[in-house]
Amino acid sequence: MTSSSLDRITSYQAVMFITNFIFGAGILTLPRTTTEKIKTPDSWIAIIVSGLIITLVAVIILKLCQRYPDETFYQFNQKLLGKWIGSLLSLTVICYYIALSAYEVRTMAETTRLFLLQGTPTWAIMMPFLWIGLYLVQGGVNAIARLLEIIFPISVLFFLLVMFLGIELFEVDNLRPVLGSGVKPVLKGVTSSSLSFAGFEILLFIYMFMKEKNKVTKVPLLGVGIPFIFYTMTVVIVIGSISVDVVLSQTWPVLTFIRSFEITGLLFERFDSLILVIWIMQIFATYVIALFIATLGLNQIFSKSTHAFIYSLIPLIYLVSMIPKNINEVFKMADMISNFSLYLFFIMPLVLFIISKVKERKYEKM
Amino acid sequence: MKWRKLNKSQMKIEESAKKAKQDKQPFQESINEMTGNLTADLNLIRKEIGHNSDVTFREFQMGTTGIRIAIIFIDGFADADVINNHILVDFMSASPKETGHPLKNSSLKEYIKNQALSVSGLNEIRTLKDITSGVMFGSIAILVDGLEDVFLVGGAKVKTRNIDEPPTESLVRGPRVGFIENLKDNTALLRRHGKDQNLSIISSQVGERSKKELVIIYMKDIVDPHLLEEVKQRISKIKIDDVHDSSYIEQLIEDNFLSPFPQVQSTERPDRVMGALMEGRVALLLDGSPFALIVPVTFHMLLQSPEDYYERWMAATLIRILRYFSAFISLFVPSLYIAFISFHPGLIPTKLIFSIAATREGVPFPPLIEALIMEVSIEVLREAGLRLPKPIGQSIGIVGGLVIGEAAVQAGIVSPIMVIVVAVTAISSFTLPQYNVGVALRILRFASMLFASVFGLYGVVLFFLLLCSHLVRLKSFGIPYVSPAVSFRLSDWKDFMIRVPLFLMKRRPKLLHPKDSVRKR
Repeated sequence: MTSSSLDRITSYQAVMFITNFIFGAGILTLPRTTTEKIKTPDSWIAIIVSGLIITLVAVIILKLCQRYPDETFYQFNQKLLGKWIGSLLSLTVICYYIALSAYEVRTMAETTRLFLLQGTPTWAIMMPFLWIGLYLVQGGVNAIARLLEIIFPISVLFFLLVMFLGIELFEVDNLRPVLGSGVKPVLKGVTSSSLSFAGFEILLFIYMFMKEKNKVTKVPLLGVGIPFIFYTMTVVIVIGSISVDVVLSQTWPVLTFIRSFEITGLLFERFDSLILVIWIMQIFATYVIALFIATLGLNQIFSKSTHAFIYSLIPLIYLVSMIPKNINEVFKMADMISNFSLYLFFIMPLVLFIISKVKERKYEKM
Repeated sequence: MKWRKLNKSQMKIEESAKKAKQDKQPFQESINEMTGNLTADLNLIRKEIGHNSDVTFREFQMGTTGIRIAIIFIDGFADADVINNHILVDFMSASPKETGHPLKNSSLKEYIKNQALSVSGLNEIRTLKDITSGVMFGSIAILVDGLEDVFLVGGAKVKTRNIDEPPTESLVRGPRVGFIENLKDNTALLRRHGKDQNLSIISSQVGERSKKELVIIYMKDIVDPHLLEEVKQRISKIKIDDVHDSSYIEQLIEDNFLSPFPQVQSTERPDRVMGALMEGRVALLLDGSPFALIVPVTFHMLLQSPEDYYERWMAATLIRILRYFSAFISLFVPSLYIAFISFHPGLIPTKLIFSIAATREGVPFPPLIEALIMEVSIEVLREAGLRLPKPIGQSIGIVGGLVIGEAAVQAGIVSPIMVIVVAVTAISSFTLPQYNVGVALRILRFASMLFASVFGLYGVVLFFLLLCSHLVRLKSFGIPYVSPAVSFRLSDWKDFMIRVPLFLMKRRPKLLHPKDSVRKR
């Protein structure tokens, strides 16, 4: 009972946090977003390259966190950058997470409207979803961690199962030629495919809650590694099955792929709506984590611990999520958010890491 | 006006309270001690409890000494055997003459205590209050002329039933014993079942007016001391005038009264209690209730049966998986039916949807109404069968289940598929080994049907997320309700879905933070 009152998570749960946060609505469009710039079947190479880069960044974040084992990013950035700049940065991060959760919720609503509930208004789809998230986040970091542990195996196993059901469509020819137009297009695609890994920065906030802080290097490795394998597999299977041209022309290439085969003799014949239903749980996980991090930030900046912030964030997220008028604007919003995350979480941790190193040197000299 | 009235009535209440206080003052003083004058003392006691028809006063003389003695007891409640064969025989044949001279008060008392009275439990008391309460709880009060001390002997002898197999938790294989209503017998059962010197049974009282004995049972060297402290604290906070059954205690100490899930396990089986104690849990037994309470409990423990350990491991594992499966069915099948039929018929294989559509052709209601009609009527049937005597209950089942179901299909009110769905749901909910979990799932089934009828499959997922969100937040005495499913710990998973062979279960579940984590074998 002593350990539970402190609200700690195990390192396995920390891995769940990272993995579930990286997953999200993004995977449904992943083959298209990575291929758009490359325009050759080589996007899986781009995914591998960017996965390795991301793992490196994640390890740097871990090293940064290890300097401040009992504080979150919101607290230690004030030490590094001063009170005002630090608070400003924290507020920016909070805005980012509000926008991110709004985007996730909106994408969920759009896909649900498209595949499951034609004619149901968007707000009616979003409302209960938002409320359930509100209820969960009040339970704190432990409750969220446990939910992630429940959701993760269900959704991932189901996704894998469905992917492999369509393996008969797979043709190696669709993936050839490997590096047919050279390395250049792949390098161009690395940026966009790196963005699909956005979410690994969660380590900045949850490191404080971790129980065992000794052998933690495996946490970023596993946390990024699971989505890494998963992404590579998805891209290879989808592009290998329905070819680059089809992938580029479809809004939801993964769903298109799943729709293109039927398995007779099972309880279900078509799986696209089913996979969407299962994946709603993953989107829920991403939304809840973003909401939690935003609330945590507000609590820590204003050093108050109330539920008032969660209640005020929900209508805000709703409003932000209703800004895009149609699905294309939602995708534009996604682009904006991910470009923003590039500066925020790829470059900033490096800068902070260098600053902390410099400060340490100074301290040693004095 | 209203305010004024309220004020007046309030003042009245205060006044009457004051009066009562003043009345009480002299009364409290009158709880004086016994004088040693038998006639006066008896009159005092008569005034207090003599109006009860079952209070018996019996006066006689001590042997040949001529010392007057009176015993007071409740007819039928106090142990008649003790009165007839011990008290009366002992006193009437007593001959304290051997000392030679008339007995002084102090030596008379010693003589009675040490030589005359042949009973094991003996209390000496003086105040009127102690005497009356003692007599009322079934003891026998012995007043001796010339002695200020009153002896209180024996306890109530309650008629108890035999130790049978509990009807709510019958097993194919396993001990056929269950708790009964008498606390002493129950604790003795436990001691016999678990021959461990560390088995601790400590007693406390609950109830403001009618004070009942509640015992806390645990293994001294296994239980987590924080857990024990928490249990004691919650019990000490109970403020209620009377507890009729241990279920009162359950409701007063549970964590979240808004949750549909039971957060305290109740059982009639001593072997189950022993198993729980060996894992480091705490059990509570209330006098007068055959149901022991076990805390903390997790959802997984509620789906376990003691038989999981009595059967060999393969069978036990399969049965456990089956139980989870049937819990899933009883919770989600009606809502999935509604979702698929009214929102996503395209997801079902074409042949199946044609046959379903054909059977639903004449049905005038949407799937939700259809499902509600059948679900509610089966709940009504279940409730009706429960309260009636057994033979009639069975015939209700036949009439309700077969006749009404068949007739409803014939009349075109519901489709045959719906009848199948409802029947499968009801039967799977019977596989759950604990009744109150079944009830929780029954409540939630209706909620999930509503979600499904509004949002289709998306609604089912929403309901699942809501359910999970609730479950992960819920705790029973500090232990997460969803463990050991999550937080993942390999050693605890040995006794989760798969029940590994007994020789591999070397450690107690870590989720309960036991002091001594190694099972001694």
